[in-house]
Amino acid sequence: MADDKTPPGDDNPYTQTYVVKAGDSLSKIAKQYYGDASLYDKIFQANRDVLKDPNKIQVGQKLRIP
Amino acid sequence: MKKQFVWLLAALMTVMLVGCANDKVPAQQAIAGAEAALASVRDAAQKYAPDTLQTVDAQLAQIKDMFAKGDYKSVMANIGSLNSAISSLKDTATAKQAEAEQAMAKAKDAWSGVSNDVPKMVAAIQSRVDILSKSGHLPKGVTKDALNSAKSGLDSMKSAWNDAMSAASGGDYSTAMSKAQAVKDQGAQIMQSLGMASG
Repeated sequence: MADDKTPPGDDNPYTQTYVVKAGDSLSKIAKQYYGDASLYDKIFQANRDVLKDPNKIQVGQKLRIP
Repeated sequence: MKKQFVWLLAALMTVMLVGCANDKVPAQQAIAGAEAALASVRDAAQKYAPDTLQTVDAQLAQIKDMFAKGDYKSVMANIGSLNSAISSLKDTATAKQAEAEQAMAKAKDAWSGVSNDVPKMVAAIQSRVDILSKSGHLPKGVTKDALNSAKSGLDSMKSAWNDAMSAASGGDYSTAMSKAQAVKDQGAQIMQSLGMASG
């Protein structure tokens, strides 16, 4: 039943979200939520509908944290 | 004189026998009527008012015992009380059946929402557990015990969810909803332990 890959654009109400603040990066966000900055790609993949480049995130963007 | 006495005695005995037979038939009919009334409500009573049904059955058994002993007057004296008890049992069983059906319909309505909701909760938790399992270090506030607990909790949630779905497939939406709520409660605790509150 469970699928650990949330398809981009698929809104699961139980998936945690995070609003990007000044100075944030996907690595920093991954460190905060996963304890491991190298897992930033998980966040990128979960937000392909709003992120084209993992290095380019904007303040105020709401990101899914799978 | 003796002949007359014998005839008189025979006549008296005939009157008594006829009298008894006259008492027996109404008593027999009264019991048959009560049994038929009870039979019509037995299934519902068994399900929704089993204790009261047991009391009424005992009352009927007593009256049948009176009949078996030839005490037809006692049968007729007590049949009214039995019929009232059967009528009351019917009312109780009918009311409880209606209550149960209403609760079931409500649960069925609620099920359609929950049947979409719970799999999403499980998927979100599974995703986080999988990612944290790959992490070199756990995030602040999440312990190794919490993660291990979340893994076993997730298995338990899936098993309970399967039970809920089986109950729903069988039409028992009340049980399905009760199990689904337990799954959601457990999921909420796991999410809390993994720091998954939205923010």
